[in-house]
Amino acid sequence: MAPHSESGKLEQVVSQFLLKSLHIILDSRIPSLHPRDPTCDSRVRKSDKWFNLVLGDRPAALDNLNFWHRNLMDPMIIDIILVQQGTAISTSVGNLLSGSPGRTATETVIERWLVQFESPPRGTASQPSEGSAASYKKTYKKSIIFLRSLYLQTRLLPAYRIFKQLSSSSQPFNFDIIYKVSSFSEPFSRVEEEMMKEYRFVPIEALPGRLHVSVTYRPQLSEFNLQPLTTMPPKIISDYVGSPATDPLRYFPSSYKGDRAISFPSKVMHSPTSVPFQRPHSWTSGFHKPVVNHHLAGSPTVYRTSQMSYDSPSPPMERMQNHRRPLHQRAPFYDECQLSPPFSPSVSPSTPTYLRNSESPRQTRAISETAPVTIPSPISGRSSRYISPNFSDPSKLSLPPLSPRSTRLDNSSNESPSGMRLIKKPEASRADLGSAGQKVLKDNKDDSGRFSGLLSSSDSPRVGFSRSSSKLSFQDDIDDCDFSCPFDVDDVDPPDSRISQNVDWKRNLESTSMGRKSQDAAVGVLVHMLRTAPPLRQDSSCYSSRSLRAEVENDGVATTASGFFMPRRTSDALEELRSYREMKDLLLSKSGTRVLTREPP
Amino acid sequence: MNCEVCQLKELEVEHFEIREVLRCILHTIVFHRALGLVRPKVIDLELFDITYVQCGDGELEKKIDEKIEQFISWVEKHPNKKSQVCISFYEVKNKHPSWFTNKTERLYWEQWYINLNVSQQQKVHSGKSHPSKIVVDPGDSLEERSARRAALETSLREVLFQIIKFVNEKKDHVPPISDGVVYFPYEVTIPSSSDSAFGMDMIKRMLQTGGHPTMLS
Repeated sequence: MAPHSESGKLEQVVSQFLLKSLHIILDSRIPSLHPRDPTCDSRVRKSDKWFNLVLGDRPAALDNLNFWHRNLMDPMIIDIILVQQGTAISTSVGNLLSGSPGRTATETVIERWLVQFESPPRGTASQPSEGSAASYKKTYKKSIIFLRSLYLQTRLLPAYRIFKQLSSSSQPFNFDIIYKVSSFSEPFSRVEEEMMKEYRFVPIEALPGRLHVSVTYRPQLSEFNLQPLTTMPPKIISDYVGSPATDPLRYFPSSYKGDRAISFPSKVMHSPTSVPFQRPHSWTSGFHKPVVNHHLAGSPTVYRTSQMSYDSPSPPMERMQNHRRPLHQRAPFYDECQLSPPFSPSVSPSTPTYLRNSESPRQTRAISETAPVTIPSPISGRSSRYISPNFSDPSKLSLPPLSPRSTRLDNSSNESPSGMRLIKKPEASRADLGSAGQKVLKDNKDDSGRFSGLLSSSDSPRVGFSRSSSKLSFQDDIDDCDFSCPFDVDDVDPPDSRISQNVDWKRNLESTSMGRKSQDAAVGVLVHMLRTAPPLRQDSSCYSSRSLRAEVENDGVATTASGFFMPRRTSDALEELRSYREMKDLLLSKSGTRVLTREPP
Repeated sequence: MNCEVCQLKELEVEHFEIREVLRCILHTIVFHRALGLVRPKVIDLELFDITYVQCGDGELEKKIDEKIEQFISWVEKHPNKKSQVCISFYEVKNKHPSWFTNKTERLYWEQWYINLNVSQQQKVHSGKSHPSKIVVDPGDSLEERSARRAALETSLREVLFQIIKFVNEKKDHVPPISDGVVYFPYEVTIPSSSDSAFGMDMIKRMLQTGGHPTMLS
């Protein structure tokens, strides 16, 4: 027969019918095959034009259909298989990836689709040439209608519900859906059959034969305990780096030396969420796939995506790769974490997903593999958002972050020019500082994060103390810039302005650090207070390193400084001492030895 | 050509459920009669755990919504009545003036009757019904409401299966698909202000189809 004969065209229609049916079924059952967003993809492929139904990219499985489905008369059996975890959940992604032998997976066929072109044997009465010049056209039109109804039917059956669960949630689940396409399959056991219902579509006329489509399905899936996977309780870390709970009152010098080696890894260790490498993420559905192979019928035509490595989109391989890929991505990412605390592993890529899970329930799971890459930006945005408003308020600039003033001694002279500059123009510089601070914030997100780390969780080591010499200069920058601290010496400011600064500062302190939710933030501020506190006695010799620095930088500071304290009464001072003692105790209890090491010699 | 008629199973709906139910059914029917190139759009109902499919045609969506709004307005004026929404597909035949109408002749080849029994239990409210406004009658208990809702969901699902069955059983009467046309011309008829006019519409349609409509139970 000529290739363009009726039967040839009919064969083509039947062949495309099989492909389209498979596409429709897989699209509505297998989450990983689901396209990103079909509505965004406006182009119409050649495969879309068949039967006037645009479905988007065909899964790679379909490309190989012709490979095994050689005979059009062979039935196409599509098994939709529910795979469930059998063992206790491991919190190690490594275990997941390695396909730990301890894991078992239960496979249950929840749907079996049968698509078959039935043709009468040759030699029977009905011949294709009988008034059916356009029979393939009729078949084509009827197939169009049928495939519309198949499209809807797949969404009405129970399995669609769990497919929706898997594909719309970024949470991991304790189950997965895989498929198997073959030309024959093991019949169901009696028990299984009793649990299933059958729906037969009206056969589609495809002279000389007919197209039969039927589905055997489980009407109830509630017996399977299909739940989101909770590998760990979603812990809300209130004082994570960059959170609003931490004191956002940080100051960043404009001349940041760019020291990068901060002790964030130790913060990571303390973090309950642990290192991201060991933390399970939302790709659990594919982990068991290497295990799943055991009881399939040994057939050369069995078409399991877990065995096929033809293409990366194959679900198990994709998931396996996705398991690995984010980790690799995260490796350099982790290094960056040392530079950019807002992205510290304690706020690992999955954490925001975790925390924001309630906000985005509809987040497609298929996009889970991109999550590690895309998540950091919101955090950084968040952190800068929290930080910058404070710097727009000059009065809040008066509360600098914690810095060990004792270490300023040696290098203060190096920074004195900048310090001088800043000190001499307090008012103007505040605005500059605000903008500089903001600028610094925007340019150096890691700085902001670092300082938030300073002020946040007290059980993490204070960053400043493990710095190298270059860090000290960095601190000097900070110290030099906190000219507005009332305890600071300033030869330019008149005493009353200093007093007002003090009052402002104290008010700010009370309103901010005391009023803030985070105790740790308050602790950081209070530590700073302790360190920068003026002596109770108005004696320049009793000044700490700060006064020495003041002397180095400015002459005649002592008088100004002492003049600053004139209006204070002893009772005020005693009260302050009491509060400082309390703070110190608090600090000691919280921070342990670190504070001790930071005491000025 | 015969006009195939399908009477869908009657649904007991509450006022606030009308919109979703009608949208679901009407779009499902049109989707099966949109035989041109279609990019299906899957919609999850809010009130029920049901997913249906639309053609993805914005114009169509707008027209259907308009009709639904008209129907809801009618229901508000005629509470506690069994009503029908009819969607008909027709072919445009030769334009020739007839004694009945001098417009183009429509040859209806398929009709679907959506039977609704709207239980008007809400209090009197303003004429406009906001889509998001849900009026709850405090008289009903929670169990009754949820039982009714579950029953409606089951019935709605049955209606959708009924549509699938019908479209697969009856295919021969469907006219050929024209190039460039996505869906067949259709008409949604809602009960008009007076019952008699509705009846006239029915008679008019019956005359136009030129045959006794086959009723499917």
